[in-house]
Amino acid sequence: MVRASFTILRDAGNGLCKTLSEILVCPLSKQPLRYCEETNSLISDAIGVSFPIKDGIPCLVPNDGKITETEDTSKTDDSVDSSSTKN
Amino acid sequence: MASLQLSLPSTYSVRPRPVRCADERQTLFNRIAPVYDNLNDLLSLGQHRVWKRMAVSWSGAKMGDQVLDLCCGSGDLSFLLSEKVGSNGKVTGLDFSKEQLSVASLRRNMSLKTCYKNIDWVEGDALDLPFPDGYFDAITMGYGLRNVVDKYRAMQEMFRVLKPGSRVSILDFNKSTQPFTASIQEWMIDNVVVPVATSYGLAKEYEYLKSSVREFLTGKELEKVALQVGFSSARHYEISGGIMGNLVAKR
Repeated sequence: MVRASFTILRDAGNGLCKTLSEILVCPLSKQPLRYCEETNSLISDAIGVSFPIKDGIPCLVPNDGKITETEDTSKTDDSVDSSSTKN
Repeated sequence: MASLQLSLPSTYSVRPRPVRCADERQTLFNRIAPVYDNLNDLLSLGQHRVWKRMAVSWSGAKMGDQVLDLCCGSGDLSFLLSEKVGSNGKVTGLDFSKEQLSVASLRRNMSLKTCYKNIDWVEGDALDLPFPDGYFDAITMGYGLRNVVDKYRAMQEMFRVLKPGSRVSILDFNKSTQPFTASIQEWMIDNVVVPVATSYGLAKEYEYLKSSVREFLTGKELEKVALQVGFSSARHYEISGGIMGNLVAKR
């Protein structure tokens, strides 16, 4: 089997389709998300976490989230631990 | 057919152990993504396509609906749902495996069917769904529930995001209470599935199948969990001689 090159027909990395951006919520707080064009990510203001969008696909697994930087602190790159207990 | 030799991560070569945590399962599904569709066809002799059509029928999805395909993998059920709901409807396919979603996305982009434009892909966790309460008209889950680490929680999330009166249709291997059926199932996994998977360099990934079926819930147990979670009705149907099963639960 020839493995297709997945890069050729991938969606553009930026942006999110309108209907999807309207229905998605934060997987942890279940509160609305805000699309940030600058970082091409979805921001959960409720818990201060941003989730990336890659190849047009929003990555909303809790572990994909990163703590958003605040004005007073230096940049952090912590990933969010899922709140669920996984056996 | 060329065999694919994928190099195994070193942890797999140390000692065999059950694939228990979510991260390991995510890795497993990422690894099998390139050959998943081919192996499904080969191992079920194409029957999986019939089972999936049945699952979609049971979901009650219809024209104009907003539907969710959980653990969508490479998208088989999503594509069937797309045809059911039409251009006025919407399908959201969710999976935690980036590689499976890449395959799904590629399949959609390469397809000539314009109706597939009504599908959106989301990388997400079935235990923490990124959707609001009471949103979907129907949910399908094909060969996913057996792989989540917390079945009860997954069902709670499905219940939460379903509209009242709507249905979830969950297709998976049947954990049979009939010793003969269970033996046939295990024999097929040992003597057909694993040898074929071995030729693709994926022996350990498909050996996981047997333990996952053993650890799964029976049809009666699945009905019970669904009712405990709050579904108003739950019925488990055995198909293909009891090798496969489909749970239909209504909110």
